[in-house]
Amino acid sequence: MIEILNLQVTKNGKSICCVPELVINAGERVGIVGPNGCGKTTLLRVLAGLEKNYRGHCAITGPSSDRVYMHQAPYMFRGTVLFNVMYGLRVRGLDQRESELKARAWLDKLGIGHLATNRAKHLSGGEARRTALARSLAIAPKLLLLDEPLADVDDAGAGRIVHELTHFNDCAILIASPNSLPGELVTREYRFDIEATNQSMSGSA
Amino acid sequence: MDLIWESFREALALIRRFDPSVTNAAARSLWISTTAVGLAALAGLPVGTGLARHSFPGYRLVVLAFRAGMSFPTVFIGIVCYAVFSRRGPFGAMDLLYTPWLIVVGEFLLALPIVVSLTHGAVKSLDPRIGETSLTLGAGPFRRWATYLSEARVGVTLAIVMAFARCVTELGIAMMVGGNIKYRTRTLATATALETAKGEFSRGMAMGVILLAIALCVTVCIMLLSRDDARV
Repeated sequence: MIEILNLQVTKNGKSICCVPELVINAGERVGIVGPNGCGKTTLLRVLAGLEKNYRGHCAITGPSSDRVYMHQAPYMFRGTVLFNVMYGLRVRGLDQRESELKARAWLDKLGIGHLATNRAKHLSGGEARRTALARSLAIAPKLLLLDEPLADVDDAGAGRIVHELTHFNDCAILIASPNSLPGELVTREYRFDIEATNQSMSGSA
Repeated sequence: MDLIWESFREALALIRRFDPSVTNAAARSLWISTTAVGLAALAGLPVGTGLARHSFPGYRLVVLAFRAGMSFPTVFIGIVCYAVFSRRGPFGAMDLLYTPWLIVVGEFLLALPIVVSLTHGAVKSLDPRIGETSLTLGAGPFRRWATYLSEARVGVTLAIVMAFARCVTELGIAMMVGGNIKYRTRTLATATALETAKGEFSRGMAMGVILLAIALCVTVCIMLLSRDDARV
């Protein structure tokens, strides 16, 4: 599914992300773990196609419409929670009724069904994150790139998220997090080698 | 003070009587400005959004040109339109001089830079996550642009309101290329100028008051229609 070799991203002459080798197969759930500023977000952005300036080899099978990236601080569009979750479905040409059904189902699964008609801009941090997750899952992606999906979420919400992600089959999931993730959520972990980033930093300087 | 009070009463009387010269000019002012701003929005919203989201050689120059266009005097636009559409001008054969359609053209040129520049500013200052979220959820370019405009709705509405306010109250273009012909090209602004020049101060003031009322009404209507808290 994903094949990365000697990936390096530099910004303003500084190396901000360095991944010597990483191979991920379909259906795997991989935790991308490392301290702040080691390049976790940058790696996800490269995979999402939002970061084009990189060196090295990065191959992903499947069309870009099968990938979805969730920001560390998700952006909520103007309008209701329901509108936000329906966005990706409407884009894919589903009609109003069908996309509303699907969107409501996902909101219920993540325990925020009661917020459907609320203004998305007025959500709390954890609610916004769950809405964003529902929005991402609703389009049935094959590659899900989540940037700290469990931050701000209460224990009950985190439990639901872990449950939904572990039962979301046929999809490679990458989860960035500064700390180790619960064992049932990820099948394995990729630890960022901060030394490698620093070395290439001094090497390119 | 008497003059203002007197003219206010006269304005009310003119409206109550449905004075044909007033209602005719008012209706013309409205449809000309609405058409011009509608066309300017149709052309200007995509151009403004495109300028904000895409960079190309000469980008700064184009943005600068539109910003400069915001300060074009109406008489300047009027005289350019006059030169271009007069008998000897390149488009003279279209025979548009002294018709309301040429006023529409002039007001379109007046409104376009306003719509483009203010839309550009509003979309440019949007959160970069909007485009990324839209893109990652699979939106094509058309849907993304619609999302930008929707998220920048306050700024975009202001652009339309500004353009309309400028058009409905302008005098130079209507006077120069319209010719202030009664029942054909007379607008409220040219009528106001004419009545005042004739020494009919209270009538002129009355026309001005009606013009002001229309401008305020439309502005409030547009603002209400596009309230930020409107649902979905």
